[in-house]
Amino acid sequence: MVAGQEERSWGALSDLPGHPMMWVLILTEVVTFGLLLLTFAGARAVQPALFAVGQAQLDATLGGMNTVVLVTSGWLAALAVEARATGGRLRARILLAAAICLGLVFIAVKVIEYVAKARLGIGMDTDTFFTLYFLLTGFHLLHVVMGVAILALVAVHDSLDNLKTGTAFWHMVDLVWVVMYPLIYLVG
Amino acid sequence: MTRSPSNRITRAWLLLVLLTLFSLGAGRVGIGGLVANAVVLAAAFAKGRWMLMDFLKLRGTPPGWRALFLSWLMMVTALPWCAAAVSALRG
Repeated sequence: MVAGQEERSWGALSDLPGHPMMWVLILTEVVTFGLLLLTFAGARAVQPALFAVGQAQLDATLGGMNTVVLVTSGWLAALAVEARATGGRLRARILLAAAICLGLVFIAVKVIEYVAKARLGIGMDTDTFFTLYFLLTGFHLLHVVMGVAILALVAVHDSLDNLKTGTAFWHMVDLVWVVMYPLIYLVG
Repeated sequence: MTRSPSNRITRAWLLLVLLTLFSLGAGRVGIGGLVANAVVLAAAFAKGRWMLMDFLKLRGTPPGWRALFLSWLMMVTALPWCAAAVSALRG
């Protein structure tokens, strides 16, 4: 197969930055997270009082801080792609390393939050709110861990295409949190 | 004047941070359920849009992709508000 044909062999997915297979994964993930977020919103509409009590036990400031941490990580990852595209290979790696560090900060803050809940005797089986809270944020946290690993991988194998592919996953993780945070912590 | 990609990314980041702080404030002042919810979710939509356009680089892709992702974003920010509104109206 010639290069031109190979580039178009993924059809419309070939128009997106990075490897098309990553976009298949991203599309699958946004559908899954979308259903989870709508399930949460639907459950709150059915049990508003229970969800108000549950939400009052969350630390919105800590969640907001983690949002700033994650969007800043996304910013650094996006700048890494620009740096790599203009030949700044070392700069791109430093930016990716900083993005990874902030990803680790996000994970640490989330673990602190979970430990605080556990100390209050709050767990997945406490009530519907906390079942969904742990399910959604835990599933997202798993993606943050995967995202950090992917960023580390593309920092080593740092072709421009790899960077675009790896950071696309990271931005998806970022995007989901930007919607998840207000929905769980702020909307009453 | 045309913005360089890095400037555009940095501008998007600044707006994302500002909107996050604004959302945190709006969510905590308790100015009233549905209005505060609408403000917070509209801010989430705006943030998501900047991420899609400037971080995920959908600005340069065919309009179909942008429409697909923006529809998803609209769905996950608007439907929760609708659900909360229905719940509030039912009392």
